[in-house]
Amino acid sequence: MEWTDLIVIAVKTAIIYLGMVQVVPIMLIVERRGAAFIQDRPGPNRVGPFGLFQPIADVIKMMMKEVISPRQVNKALYLLGPFLVLLPASLIVAALPFGDFFTLFDKSYMIQIANLDVGILYVLAIGSLGIYGILFGGWASNNKFSLIGAMRATSQIISYEIPLGLAACGAVLSYGSFSLREMVMAQEGTLLGALPHWGIFYQPLGFLLFFIAAFAETNRLPFDLPETEAELVAGFHTEYGPMDFGTFFMAEYMNMATMSALMVSIYFGGWHLPWISDATLLEGLGSRNLLALLQVLTVIVKISFFMLVFVWVRWTIPRFRFDQLMRLAWKNLIPLGLINLVITALIFYFKGAI
Amino acid sequence: MEAFLPVGFLFIFALLLCIGLFTVKRLLGPRNPIASKLSVYECGVAPEGNARAPFKTHFYLIAVLFLLFDVEAAFFFPWALVYKESLAQGPALLIAMLVYMGFLVLGLVYIFRKDCLRLN
Amino acid sequence: MREGLFIAFSLFTIAAASGVVLSKNPVYSAFSLILSFFGLSGLYLLWGSTFMAMIQILIYTGAIVVLFVFVVMLLNLQVIRENSPNLLFVGVVSATVWFFSLIILRVLTRAIPTNVTEIPTNQLRTISKLLFTRYLWPFEVLSLFLLVMIVAIFAITRAQEISHGGEKV
Repeated sequence: MEWTDLIVIAVKTAIIYLGMVQVVPIMLIVERRGAAFIQDRPGPNRVGPFGLFQPIADVIKMMMKEVISPRQVNKALYLLGPFLVLLPASLIVAALPFGDFFTLFDKSYMIQIANLDVGILYVLAIGSLGIYGILFGGWASNNKFSLIGAMRATSQIISYEIPLGLAACGAVLSYGSFSLREMVMAQEGTLLGALPHWGIFYQPLGFLLFFIAAFAETNRLPFDLPETEAELVAGFHTEYGPMDFGTFFMAEYMNMATMSALMVSIYFGGWHLPWISDATLLEGLGSRNLLALLQVLTVIVKISFFMLVFVWVRWTIPRFRFDQLMRLAWKNLIPLGLINLVITALIFYFKGAI
Repeated sequence: MEAFLPVGFLFIFALLLCIGLFTVKRLLGPRNPIASKLSVYECGVAPEGNARAPFKTHFYLIAVLFLLFDVEAAFFFPWALVYKESLAQGPALLIAMLVYMGFLVLGLVYIFRKDCLRLN
Repeated sequence: MREGLFIAFSLFTIAAASGVVLSKNPVYSAFSLILSFFGLSGLYLLWGSTFMAMIQILIYTGAIVVLFVFVVMLLNLQVIRENSPNLLFVGVVSATVWFFSLIILRVLTRAIPTNVTEIPTNQLRTISKLLFTRYLWPFEVLSLFLLVMIVAIFAITRAQEISHGGEKV
C-alpha cells in the first residue's frame, strides 16, 4: 500500500463520516417539521426559509447554555458517559456500504470505509457497546431517575439485541457471507421476472424482526422507555447539561441512520436500483464515477425513506409499558427469530440453494 | 488485519469529534454555579434516601439470560455461514443445529413456564 | 509496524487489567475490564483472527461485563475500604501459582503454539467447518450446559427472593 492510497483512504473515511454526522442537523429539522405535519401545526418556520436554519439556531443555543455538573456525580464517568455512546455510534459507520467503486488516478477505491469479512458481526459487536455510555452515565449521575432509566435502557437494549442477532443470522444464512458488501452484491437484478432481487423477499420475517428490534435498539418510540418523560423526568440523561444532551441526541440519530443503512443493505438492495443491473447502468452512463454517484444517491434516498419511517412511527404509535416491552422481546420476537432460522434452513434443504 | 486500518482512521476522527464537542462545551458555556443548581434533580423535592439503593433481582435475571442467549446466538453465526455449502454433503449440519436449538427452545419453554421474567 | 502495534496493544491490555485490580470502586474496575477486553481483541486482530476479535467484543465486552456491572449495581457494592492484606496475599499467591503452572504446562506439553503466523486464508469458513465436524460433540454438549445454567440461575435467584420475603418487582 502506497502513501497516496493511505491519504485517499483517510480522506474517504473523513468524507463518509462527516456525511453521516450531517444526518444530525438534517434530522433535527425533519423530525420537528414531521411532528408538526402529523399533528397538523406549522412547526418551526421562523429561522430562515421554511425554518431551514432552525438546526443552526438549536446548536448555537445548546453551545451557549450554562454547563453544570452536579455535586453528587462521579466526575470521570459522568463526563465520559455521552462520549461512550457517541464513539460506538460513530465506529459502526465503518462497515456500511454506500456504493461499489470509484476511480481516482486510475485506481479504484470502495465507497465504504472498510470492507470487513466479519461485517455484520462487527456491526452487532460495536452496536452492543452503546449501552455502556447509558449505564455508566446513569450510574455516575447518582440520581434515582437516571439510574432507573439506565437500568431500563440496558435491559431493553440487551433484550432486543438477541432478536436483532437472530434476524441478522437469517440474512447470513441466505447470503452465505458475513460481509455487508457481498450481501449487497447478491441483490442485483430481478427475481422471478417481476420483483427486484432484494433480500426482503428471501427474509420477510427476518426483516420484520430486524425492523422492530431496530426501533428498540435506538431507544425510539414506541420503545423509548429509558426516557419516558412522564415518569422518569428524562431517564438516564436527567442530570446532564445541554451539550451532553446534544451528544446523546447525536448518537441517537447516528444510530438511526446506521440501522436504516443496515436495513437498506441487507433487505433492500443497498446501492442497486430495482430491476436494473449495474452492467446495464454502466453501459448507459458510460463512466464509472457517474455510476458511483448514482449508487450513492440511491443509498441516500433509501436511507432517507427509513429515517422518515422512524419519524412517522414516533408520532403515530403510543409508548409500550415496560412489561409489555419485555414480553414482546422474549415471548414473541426470540421464538419468531428461531422459527425464521429453522424455516430458512429447511427451505434451503428441500429446494437446494436458490 | 489490513482491512481494519480504515477503522483506526475512523476511530481517530470520532475521537476528534468527541474532543471538539467537549472543548466547545467547556469554552462557550457560561458558569455560575450555585448550591441549588448543583443539587440532585428530583423535581424540586428534597431527595430522600440514597440513589444507589440495591436493585431488584429482575434486572439481574434479564442480564444473565441475555448472556446465555447471546452465547447461543453467537454459535448460530458460523453455522449460518457454512450451512448452504454444506448441504451437498447431506443434512448433518441441519440435524446438528436442530439438536442445539432443541436445548435452546427447552430453556425458553422453562423460562416461560416458570415465569422467570415475570412476563405474565 | 506490526511489532509496535503488538507492544502497544499488550501494554494497553496490561495497564487496563491492572486498573481492574487496583481501582477501589467496582464500577471503575468494570470500566477497566472493558478497556482490557478491547486490548485483547486488538491483539486477536493483529494475529489475523477477525472472528475471535469480534466474538470477544460481542460476548465478553457486550454481555459479560454488562452482567458484572448489573451485579455491582444490584448489590450496591460500596467503595472497597482499604487494601485488605488478606486479599493482597491471596492475589499474589494465585497469580504466582497461575504463572508457574503456565510454565510447567509449556514444558510438559507443546500445547501453546509458538508460531502464530499461520492463519488460514479463509479463517471464517475454516473455523465454522471445524466447529461442526471435529468439535461437533463439545458444541452440542455446550447447549446442554447452557440449559442447565438457565435452570440453575433461576433456582438460585428464586430461592434468594423467597428468603428475602418474596419482594415484588
